[in-house]
Amino acid sequence: MDLTVGGEQAQIRDAIRGVLADRLPLARVRAVVAAPPGFDPDVWREAAALGWFGLGLPEAEGGAGYGTPEEMLLALELGRALAPGPWRGTILAAHAAPRAVRAAVLAGAVRVAVVDDPAGALGAGARLRGTAVDVADAGVAEAFLVLGARRAAWVPRDARGLGVAAAPSIDPTRPLGRLALDDVGAEPVDADPAALRRLGTVLAAAEAAGVAERTLEMSVAYAKVRRQFGRPIGAFQAVKHRCADMAVRAEVARSVVTFAAVALRDGEGDPARHAAVAKALATDAALANAADNVQNHGGIGYTWEADAHLYLKRAWLLEHEFGRRADHWDALAAPWRA
Amino acid sequence: MELRFSAAEEAFRAEARAWLAANVPGAARPRGEDLRARRAFDLAWQRRLFDAGWAGVSWPREYGGRGATLMEQLIWYEEYARAGAPEITTTFVGLNHAGPTLIACGSAAQKAYHLPRILRGEVVWCQGFSEPNAGSDLASLQTKAVVEGDHLVVTGQKIWTSFAQIAEFQELLVRTDPAAPRHRGITWVICPMDAPGITIRPITTLAGGQDFCEVFYDGVRIPLANVVGALNDGWRVAMATLSFERGTAFLSEQVRLARRVGALVELARRVPGPRGRARAVDDDELARRLARASAEVEAMRAMTYRSVSLAAQTGVPGAEASIIRLFFSELVQRIDVLAMDVLGAAGTRQLGGAEGTPGRWTERYLAGLSQTIGGGTKDIQRNIIGDRVLGLPR
Repeated sequence: MDLTVGGEQAQIRDAIRGVLADRLPLARVRAVVAAPPGFDPDVWREAAALGWFGLGLPEAEGGAGYGTPEEMLLALELGRALAPGPWRGTILAAHAAPRAVRAAVLAGAVRVAVVDDPAGALGAGARLRGTAVDVADAGVAEAFLVLGARRAAWVPRDARGLGVAAAPSIDPTRPLGRLALDDVGAEPVDADPAALRRLGTVLAAAEAAGVAERTLEMSVAYAKVRRQFGRPIGAFQAVKHRCADMAVRAEVARSVVTFAAVALRDGEGDPARHAAVAKALATDAALANAADNVQNHGGIGYTWEADAHLYLKRAWLLEHEFGRRADHWDALAAPWRA
Repeated sequence: MELRFSAAEEAFRAEARAWLAANVPGAARPRGEDLRARRAFDLAWQRRLFDAGWAGVSWPREYGGRGATLMEQLIWYEEYARAGAPEITTTFVGLNHAGPTLIACGSAAQKAYHLPRILRGEVVWCQGFSEPNAGSDLASLQTKAVVEGDHLVVTGQKIWTSFAQIAEFQELLVRTDPAAPRHRGITWVICPMDAPGITIRPITTLAGGQDFCEVFYDGVRIPLANVVGALNDGWRVAMATLSFERGTAFLSEQVRLARRVGALVELARRVPGPRGRARAVDDDELARRLARASAEVEAMRAMTYRSVSLAAQTGVPGAEASIIRLFFSELVQRIDVLAMDVLGAAGTRQLGGAEGTPGRWTERYLAGLSQTIGGGTKDIQRNIIGDRVLGLPR
């Protein structure tokens, strides 16, 4: 048993963190999202060249030969950096895209957004009908991976009958979109939608863990330098204890996400349960830490100029991807209420 | 990253599980007022562990322990809790604090005399650290000891000493140099609890028990040979094992909590809920809180695993130990409050009783209030996290 980040994993993480720090500091993120296309194509290409999209894929299938834990580390770093772009969908698509486009997905040539449809409201057959709302990064996606109740489907952006419209989002770094599907012919995907949903859930949870972790670091750094009453504010117990609570939440998030990622890779325990626990608790940590981070920054934290609000808004978007907390609690409690 | 244990570790688990299944006492551990009966029960159980080679799993082999690796200790405590083996209470200080302190800092004679007696279940130890005016601020302790010939003569008072009434020995911190800086004038000494001049007065807790005591010292003579480490070096001796206090015995808590939440879910399926619900679990709010509690217990397990695997690599308990400690103490209290809400009015009618009765849940809720006080209040824990983990200014 070992839940530490191993030597090779640490190298992967450090490399990812290094690229994101170098190419996508928050000032650059703000500039990127202020103008079309809303993500950084150069970073996207670089990520593909570095093999990020195929981290969890066997080498024989064009991947790097790692697994869910390494994909989790990537998602955590993307969350820390608030990196714009349809990262999660494209990582999932590396596992599920039709054979003919799989290589293009891995090469970063096809960006993919996810439509999570656990109830199968868009249809169970070969034709999809209806509306999908709150699809993250729909505007820049070149294809959609629809995770239905019993099957997953692939819908290219130019599919006949598909309309994609931009929709408002509170998160400047993550635009939302609305899909209108009017009898769209979807290509079935040879992958278990439940397994893809579990992976997507853990990756969203990892992103939230990254938000929880990064906001803790921001608060601690600020509490050490901001002075009032002649002392750094971090010396006051009211602030120190709030930071301590943030550290607890970050540790909870990091631990459940790590546990779930390994459980998914190895089929240990009850992977669906571990994924639900990870998503609910990591999102909880992200929301609370991001709000506390605003508080710890005082007046400046309340401004648009400061970065604190970006993390809080990302946390709220994450709450509504792959099941909100209440959904996960209800799923966990369902067997008890039967 | 890996959740699976090695083949050797799984073999160890199988061995532990088989032994526990065959040896965990069938009779319930005596509870309540009769401390003598609890002592007898606990020491008999300790003797049984010793005879089978399971005493002191974390102790080095050269001192009669099992010398188990950190992973094996985790496995042992998981299986221990899973088997419903007796909670370690009266033997806790000897096994998890005084014993390890003697191993780290004791003389050859002290080790030779005391360690086997602790392991064999022949003695109970208690702790004499806190005083009425030295709680969170332990270094301000004032119980004084003066050297007279080859003895220390102790005068003063200790408080919150669990099981003082049934203990043979006490790990006692006394001030031996009032002129020195406060951390430098303290001595760690082995106090025989039958020494003349000791008066023990039990304190009744808000949960109704009499587990802990005030201890008064009036000219108590303790041989200098009982000093552990050097005179005036007691703070260092006490700190040497402070991280040990919650150390590996803590590893079983996640399993114990999982069992408790399991029992709470069963309770919620039996008792009526609010707003006329047939069962408490049919209430959406209670159901979600139960789900959250079970998720948080799983988080406790994940955090424990992460902490153990970090410590297994570095050899020392990491910073995250204090984080787990705080999370655990508050999680216990959330679960206890949830139990009170599941019980409804039934939780207000009786304090104490057999396992599974409402009174037992209520007693646990009240006793659980000590979780964020004993061994460092939650406020002190937050200070520790802020100062030592996050590096915030003092």
